[in-house]
Amino acid sequence: MEFAYTPAQRALQKEVQDFIAKEVTPEVEAEQDEIGRGPLVEAVYDKIKANGWRAISWPKQYGGQDGNRLDQYIVEEEFARVGFSVGGGGSGAPTILAGGNQEQKDKYIAKLISGEWSFCQGFTEPQGGADLAGLQCRAVKDGDDYIINGQKMYTTGAHRATHIYLMARTDPDSKRNAGISIFLIPMDTPGITVRPLWSIQNEPRAPRGTTYGENRTNETFFEDVRVPANCLLGEENNGWNLSAMGLNLDRVGASRYLISVRRDEDIVNWVKDPANADLAANIKDNPSARDRIAECWTEAQVCRLMTLRSMSIVEHEGKFTYEGSAEKVWAPEHGVKTTETIAALLGPYAQLLNGAEDAIESGLYAHNVMGAFQSGINHGSTQIMRDQVALRGLGLPRSR
Amino acid sequence: MDILLNEEEQMVRDAARSFLESETSTKLAREMEKDPLGYPPALWKQIADLGWVGMCIPDQYGGQGLGLTYLGLVLEEVGRAIAPLPLHSTTVPAITIAEFGSEEIKQAVLPGVCSGDTLLAFAFQERDPRIIADAIKTTAVLEGDNYVVNGTKMFVDNINTASKVLTVVRKPGTTGRDGLSLLLIDTDAAGLTQTLEVTTAKDKQGRVDLNNVKVPKSALIGEEGKGWPIAEKMLDVATALLVIQMEGTARKDAEITIAYAKERTAFGRPIGAFQSVAHMLADAIMWCDGAQLLGYEALWALENRGNAGLEVSQAKSFANDRLLPACRIGQQIHGGIGFMMEFDIALYYRRVAASTMRLGTSFEHRARIAAALIDQPGTVRLGEPIATL
Ligand SMILES: Cc1cc2nc3c(=O)[nH]c(=O)nc-3n(C[C@H](O)[C@H](O)[C@H](O)COP(=O)(O)OP(=O)(O)OC[C@H]3O[C@@H](n4cnc5c(N)ncnc54)[C@H](O)[C@@H]3O)c2cc1C
Repeated sequence: MEFAYTPAQRALQKEVQDFIAKEVTPEVEAEQDEIGRGPLVEAVYDKIKANGWRAISWPKQYGGQDGNRLDQYIVEEEFARVGFSVGGGGSGAPTILAGGNQEQKDKYIAKLISGEWSFCQGFTEPQGGADLAGLQCRAVKDGDDYIINGQKMYTTGAHRATHIYLMARTDPDSKRNAGISIFLIPMDTPGITVRPLWSIQNEPRAPRGTTYGENRTNETFFEDVRVPANCLLGEENNGWNLSAMGLNLDRVGASRYLISVRRDEDIVNWVKDPANADLAANIKDNPSARDRIAECWTEAQVCRLMTLRSMSIVEHEGKFTYEGSAEKVWAPEHGVKTTETIAALLGPYAQLLNGAEDAIESGLYAHNVMGAFQSGINHGSTQIMRDQVALRGLGLPRSR
Repeated sequence: MDILLNEEEQMVRDAARSFLESETSTKLAREMEKDPLGYPPALWKQIADLGWVGMCIPDQYGGQGLGLTYLGLVLEEVGRAIAPLPLHSTTVPAITIAEFGSEEIKQAVLPGVCSGDTLLAFAFQERDPRIIADAIKTTAVLEGDNYVVNGTKMFVDNINTASKVLTVVRKPGTTGRDGLSLLLIDTDAAGLTQTLEVTTAKDKQGRVDLNNVKVPKSALIGEEGKGWPIAEKMLDVATALLVIQMEGTARKDAEITIAYAKERTAFGRPIGAFQSVAHMLADAIMWCDGAQLLGYEALWALENRGNAGLEVSQAKSFANDRLLPACRIGQQIHGGIGFMMEFDIALYYRRVAASTMRLGTSFEHRARIAAALIDQPGTVRLGEPIATL
């Protein structure tokens, strides 16, 4: 057991921190806040790439660095703290790498890593997301093509994504997860319509760094969408197995960890900052408040250690049994606990949203109250994840 | 960074587990609860021969010179097996003596400890049981070549079998962290009386009354009046080791309960198939994992860094808060049988419950964490070391 970074890992971390201090200027941050990925932000991404910090653990042939996962984690954490995503190809890419044919790997992965292309995720449907195996979107073989009909809910980023990573039923007689396939489809394919769904965070917009600060997601409709058969990822009817792999890889890592623990650091640093002395007095010297801050902090350390455990498992090329799912229960629930604790500590200020004259940290804590709980619903709800821990980790019998 | 056990650590853990599985049992643990000594001397001798007692003692004094994490792994197994061994209570003062004692005292005491002949105890807490310097009221006054000690120490584990007790005392007229010293006091010294308590764990914790006890000057560990950092380190070592030991017990409790949930049926199905039961068990395992991860990190930090107070207090506050509920889940899922004295699950429950009450309440540990986070300049970041005050 070794809980410290090696000198080389430390040096890498330091190098990235110095880079960020120099390159992620207030102007860059302002652009991030206003338009997201504008020219200044893109220029920083270019430099990140030139430094060999993109997708470190991914294969070189697709634009990665053939490096190890922990180095990637170290770099990912630093950049995630300032809102940059440098991990890998994003959602979908791990599954393509694992289950795609050579042509698909060549076609997609490098472009996903470079950010030129991106996927939105088409899993959830109106009738349900937790019970994913019950999905109804249909893909029917027609000569060399498939024809797709159905509706997907909460397709986050669909209005910006170049492609959708779609789960659809290819075998209509199949029960549950057996007849499901994955398709990789350009969003500009005729018959696809994207409509916005505005979230609880809409108007005013949540400040950057809010846990689930997205103001918008979408619903995406498929009407007789004709796609060539090479859009099928892996084998027909094998989508469930493929996607399970992708989801697992999605559940662990620096950004997952950070969205659940950033507020634990923020509140301590806010309370300590002499500039906040008047507002924080009520917290700083209040034993009950201090007790709760220390409790949240301790639980955040558990998030951190669970993440490092996952990283260590990956380093050893070990198998996850329940560790990823446990993290996906613990971290979101922790994030909610801290969020609600801070709300209780800040009292009336915790109501003030972005733009309010007297808002603390641009309303970050208030917006977090509206977002943090969502991380316990997405990517496997905490109930479903507890089922996974019980079933796969503890070997308990199926409840359904 | 690789927080999984390495091969050597796995070997130590596996060896300890298989030894304890063959040599101890919960039956033995129960017998020892009624035994006046509280442990089987033959088994103690065996583990001394295996090198467990001297694990963290330098080899020139008969030990193995290994790091604290190894002893932690052994104590985790001791907790798992509920092995009736005064290992925690002896190794903690021994490690303190090895780090801070004079050469003379180390040579006099440590070889006997490593060979299993000498049992030790340590005494910090008093009637005001807080684990802070202010709570130390026991006094030691130097008269000629002897200290004269007066006061009362509480919750001294395995005092009944210890031949020496490492005791934290205060110079009269001092307050706070000033004026504290540590004395290694013979338990048969005139004026020292011990009274065993009756505890949830049915272990051998005692009150030690010190009435004009004469202690030779040579029994001083460290410098007179400068004992706080030594006492604090001793408490940190004791606390981190206790966390990992109680986690071993709690995890075994959860494993027994998981097995029970697969076998016991109700309404025509195994009770583990009910989601409410399954989810409680998932929580129990996550809480054990959390205590284990924090506990390992605390042990690692004690071994590899100067100040590990934050890690230690994180681990103990979490273990206090989560391991008792983890075992209470075991009670809930066992239904009525869990309440029965003869059934093992109740033994595990009692043991973990008692450990959550020892060596600092969650509130005390969190007060220490909060002070480290809030009461010193600079910003905090998870994963970066933060010194306690
Ligand atoms: C902001 C946002 C972004 C999202 N982004 C995407 C995206 O990009 N792509 C995508 O495909 N989806 C996305 N989702 C959808 C998300 O994954 C689903 O909301 C989630 O899977 C739950 O599905 P549901 O909303 O249909 O709830 P339901 O499936 O109806 O579940 C409702 C409740 O019932 C519980 N439940 C269900 N089954 C069980 C069970 N067996 N045992 C116990 N409890 C159960 C659930 O845990 C939940 O609490 C997003 C959602 C939001 C809000």
